Parts: sequence; structure tokens; C-alpha cells
Amino acid sequence: MSVLLVKTLRSSTLKLALICIGIFGATVFALFGYVYWSTASYVRSLADQAIAAESEVLRKAHGSGGRSALIAAIGQRTADHRAAGGLYLLADPAYATVAGNLERWPPALKGSAGQDNFTAPEGGPAAAHRGLLRATFETLPDGYHLLVGRDIGDLDAFAGKIAIALAWGISLIFILAGVASVSVTRRTVGRIEAINATSRAIMQSGLGQRIPLRGTRDEWDQLADNLNLMLDRIEALMGEVKQVSDNVAHDLRTPLTRMRGRLEKASGRPREAALDQSVIADTLADLDGVLRMFASLTRIAQIETSDRTAAFRTVNLAEIASEVVELFDAAAEDKGGHLDAVGAQRALVTGDRDLLFDAVANLVDNAIKHGREAGRVVVEVAQGDGGAVISVVDDGPGIPQNECQHVLKRFYRLEQSRRTPGNGLGLSLVAAVARMHGARIDMLDNAPGLKFRLCFPLPSPPAFGSAAVAAERAGR
Amino acid sequence: MAGGRRRILVIEDDPETGEQLVDSLATSGYEVDLSVNGDDGLARGRSADYAVMTIDRMLPGMDGIAVIRHLREEGIVTPALILSALGEIDDRVRGLRAGGDDYLVKPFAFAELLARVEALARRSATVVKETVLRVGDLELDLVTRTVRRSGRDIELLPREFQVLEYLVRNEGQVVPRAMLLQHVWDLHFDPTTNIIDVYVGRVRRKVDGQQAFPLIHTVRGVGFCVRAPC
Repeated sequence: MSVLLVKTLRSSTLKLALICIGIFGATVFALFGYVYWSTASYVRSLADQAIAAESEVLRKAHGSGGRSALIAAIGQRTADHRAAGGLYLLADPAYATVAGNLERWPPALKGSAGQDNFTAPEGGPAAAHRGLLRATFETLPDGYHLLVGRDIGDLDAFAGKIAIALAWGISLIFILAGVASVSVTRRTVGRIEAINATSRAIMQSGLGQRIPLRGTRDEWDQLADNLNLMLDRIEALMGEVKQVSDNVAHDLRTPLTRMRGRLEKASGRPREAALDQSVIADTLADLDGVLRMFASLTRIAQIETSDRTAAFRTVNLAEIASEVVELFDAAAEDKGGHLDAVGAQRALVTGDRDLLFDAVANLVDNAIKHGREAGRVVVEVAQGDGGAVISVVDDGPGIPQNECQHVLKRFYRLEQSRRTPGNGLGLSLVAAVARMHGARIDMLDNAPGLKFRLCFPLPSPPAFGSAAVAAERAGR
Repeated sequence: MAGGRRRILVIEDDPETGEQLVDSLATSGYEVDLSVNGDDGLARGRSADYAVMTIDRMLPGMDGIAVIRHLREEGIVTPALILSALGEIDDRVRGLRAGGDDYLVKPFAFAELLARVEALARRSATVVKETVLRVGDLELDLVTRTVRRSGRDIELLPREFQVLEYLVRNEGQVVPRAMLLQHVWDLHFDPTTNIIDVYVGRVRRKVDGQQAFPLIHTVRGVGFCVRAPC
């Protein structure tokens, strides 16, 4: 549990939630603050209006009837209970109380005129007014001082209540949001922990493990599902790699064993120039075969893993077809067969000329080697709506339908072709080149024979990689 | 080719490979200096009186590509042959872009190495504009694109003519298959099939068939060589 807690506290989800809570809290705080401020100032302005109206009336009384009228008006007002809450005080120039319901002039109020808040002086008839008072005061023309005010203690209490509500509200929001974010984070951490646990298990004990699904079909399940699919794919690929390395081991050991035996035998017998020469020549030839196979393997691996699309440019498949046919014409002739290029003169694809040439050359080489003795091999080029298509067609024994998927695998060789030279890598290279170019491979029955077809996608607009290509060509 | 300095700088960290390189180049009449790391190679390369240098791709300290880049930045244009144990597809472009002139993947046949070094050494020499090439009794007219041997016309396809022309231009030198493919077909890979042999075989039948002596020779495991009988 404590591990989970530590993980929860470290979780990025929690951090994100805390940031959200912070922003949300600040907003609420600002909103409540505004409500408090505007309420308080509204109530205060009401009090100010009332005070101003009373001042006006008293000033008029003083103007028309002199000081005695003013004292009468003050007396009338302090006696009237309906005007409760009103404060009145008339003081002589020495601030001694003349009339009104305030004990004495508040010491806080100085000057000839003004407006201020103050607390009521202790004791006296105005003892009811314990809270905060607000008043305007002025010096009348005859030197007496007049104060008119109101008790704003209720308003103060009201503002205090708002402030308390605000504090409670904000604390509650923070607590709720905190609890919610911790629980959401724990859930997230829990799901991620399941994925982590599986990952660790895979690292420790192999690719057999899968991430458990909860069947909720939510985004976590989808993630787990995709990761599981990826694991399936990796497991399948690892299986293939193992198969390939087994094959490599076999195909390397066979010639190496041959070479070793030959050299061992040669070292045990007396030196004889002619024999030694032939042993050396045979060993070199075997070694070259091994190196060629090795080169093919690394070449396929590189094609499969490297991103060469930057060096892609527009290539005419028809040109490649005619060049391959020209190159292999001699080989076909040697077997007494025919090799022709037919079809469109222009079929453009975006790709790598060397690799495309190599792929087509491998297909033609296969067709000549495995096709009918003295047969006919045709390289067809067509420009369809969906893109360029190049097919290599022979009239040999073809490939059985159930073998089609396997022939693209590294080192796979059909029973019927075990005796012909080759290392079972040619079609793997073709497949790798096709994949790199986004081309689809079809193996069709030509009855009799095989029609190996590569369907390319439509060329993309002029490549930007032309600089790299130019550099490569210039360096040649 | 004749005269002048024929000094070669070999930058190679593996002692046995280095020794083999020095031996085979020395046997072919070159004076060879060996550097066992990039920094020493760069220092020697700066002296710039080498006809060709061969540079291992991966070296202790400064790697081969960095050595070439430094030399090129300093304006030293000694032709460089990169020897690499890395795969060809990406690394060739990288090496050539850094200023390398040719690229050979390890392991290689020494005959092929010699052929490429020879080709690079000759590149710096002046190219004579000839219109007719001759080897023994074979005559190639580069203007009319016709071939005659012992006064008799030989019919060749345009590409066959190019193959023969390239071999004749490199008379006496071994031309590796990959070089032929590169210069005649503009392809940069080593074919996994024996197709070049078959193709050259056909050219040979046309040129050497029913003749007193052959001109086109196959060098086993490497390539071809055009040579007049001595």
C-alpha cells in the first residue's frame, strides 16, 4: 500500500490534478472576493445615502431656523424610534456636547468636515450602538460642529458571515477536489502499475505474459489491448528471428565444415603444389559463398530497418525492366530460353533505383533458374490507375499455392529447387524492397508457371531528398 | 601511372589487416605508409603527397569519416578509399558525402582493393582524349562506336560496347564486377547472382571467339581483366 501511496504522490496525474485544483481554487477565491466586496460596498453606499439625506435636512433646519431649530430637529429625531440606528450630535466649537444621542464627540473625528468609521464610545445613551459606526461631520458657519451618522454594525456582521462562508466553501472545495484527485490518480496508477508489472515480468521471464484486461473497453483496456497485440507481433518476430538464426547457423556450418575438413586433410598430408592450389581455390570459393550469403542477410536487414525514403526519386519501372532484361539476356540465352520486356514504356514509381533494380534482377534470375528449361520469361510493365505494376512471368513449374507465404521467408527453399544454386534469400530481398516501397506482392498461377507481380502505389510528388541523391551520385 | 610518387597511406587499426594491406600494395609497386589510428592518419594525410589513401571506417580515436572530413576541409583532395565493415546501404552514402571517393565493404579480395586503388591513383593523372582505343589487335573507335579485331568488324550491342570500353580503358588492371556494374549500369550494389559473368561471357564470345589468343580474362572471385599477350 505504501508503495502505491508513493507512486500516487509521484504520479503526473496527481500533479496535474493539483495544478487544476490550484487554478480552480484561485478562480473561486476571486469570485467570492468580488461578491464580498460588491455586497459590502453596496450596503455602505446605502448607509452613505441615508446619512447624506439626514445631513441635508438638518443643514436646512439650521439655515432656516438657526441653532435652536437644529437642536429641535435633532431632539425630534433621537426621540423617534422609527429612525433607530441614526446618530446625531451637535457640539460647540470646543467639542462639548450640545444635543444628540452620542455621549461625546468621537476623538477620531478631527478637522472641519469629513467622513469616517469609528467605534462607539463606552457608556452613555448611545450604548445600544456598540458596533461600528459611520458618520459625516462638518463645522457649521457659527463654529458649532454637526455629526450625522449610522450604525453599520449589521453590515459589518453581514460581511463577516460572507467571509466565513467563503472560507468554508473554499476549504470544502479543496478537500473534495483533493480527495477526488487522489482517488482518480490511484486508479490511474493502479492501471499503469498493472502494465508495469507485466513489462517487468516480460523482461525477467520472456514474452509469454500479457497485460490483463478489465473488460471495461475504456481507454486503458484499449491501451492494454494494443500493447498485447504489439507483444504478439514481437513474439512472432522473435520466433522468425530464431528460425532465421537457426538457418544461418545451418547454412554457415555446412560450408565451414567443408572448409575445415578440407584444410585439416590438407595439413595432414605432404605439401604438393597442385593439390594445395586446388584446396586453396576451393576454400576461397566456399568462403566467398559464405560472405555473399552474409552480405545478402545484412543487406536485407538494412533495407528492412533503415529509412531510405529520403533518397527516393522518380524511377521509370519500364527502364529498369528493359535494363534488367538486357543484362539477363545472355543468361537466358545460355539456358536456351527467351527473355523479353513488354508493356508500357513509362511506369513511374517513387523509389530507389538500385534496390528496385536488385529486386527485379532477383525475380528475373529466379525465373530463369527455376523456370522451364529453354522456357520463356517475360517482364511486363503496366501503368494502372492504382499505380505502376511490374510482373515477371515464367512458364516453369510455379509455386504451389500453400507455399506462397513461405517463399518470402529468409532461407526458405522449395523442395524442387534444393538442388539449384542459391541461398533462399533472393525473394526475402524482393519482399524487403517491396515493403520499403509500399508495394504489394502477388504470386499468381500462370498455368503453367508463376506470375510474380509487384503493385506499386501512385508516385508521390517530387521528393525533397534529391540533394542526398545528388551527393551520392556526385561522390560516385 | 609511371614515374612520380606512388605513395599510399593506409589507415587501419587491425594489425594483421594493416600488414596484409601494406604487403599487397607494396608487392604492386607502391610505397606504403601505415597509420594505426585516426589522429596519426590525419597528421600524415596532411602532408598531402600521397597518390591514394585507404581509410578504415571505424578507428580508435577519430573515426575514418571524421579524418576525411578534416582533410577535405583543409583542402586536401588526396583520393580516399573507405574500407568498412559496416553495412553498405546507409554507410556508403555517409562515407561518400564526407568526401570519400570510393567505398569497399570488408572483407574484400585484395585484387579488388588493388583495382580500386589503381583506379583512384589514375584519376588524378591527366586523362588523354583519345578517339581510338587499342589492345593487341583489338581496336575500339569511340566516335563511330565500332569494334574491329584483326581487321574484322565485331557487332556489339551498345551496352556491350560500354563494357568492353571500360575494360579496355583499364587495360592490364583487374576490374571488379561491382565497379563494372557501377560504371556501365550506374548501379551501386554487389549482385548476388553471377549475372555479370554471364554478360561479360557473351562479350568475350564475340571478341575472343575464333581468335588466336584471348584478350578478356576472368579473375576468379573478383572480376575481369583485358590484357594483350606479352
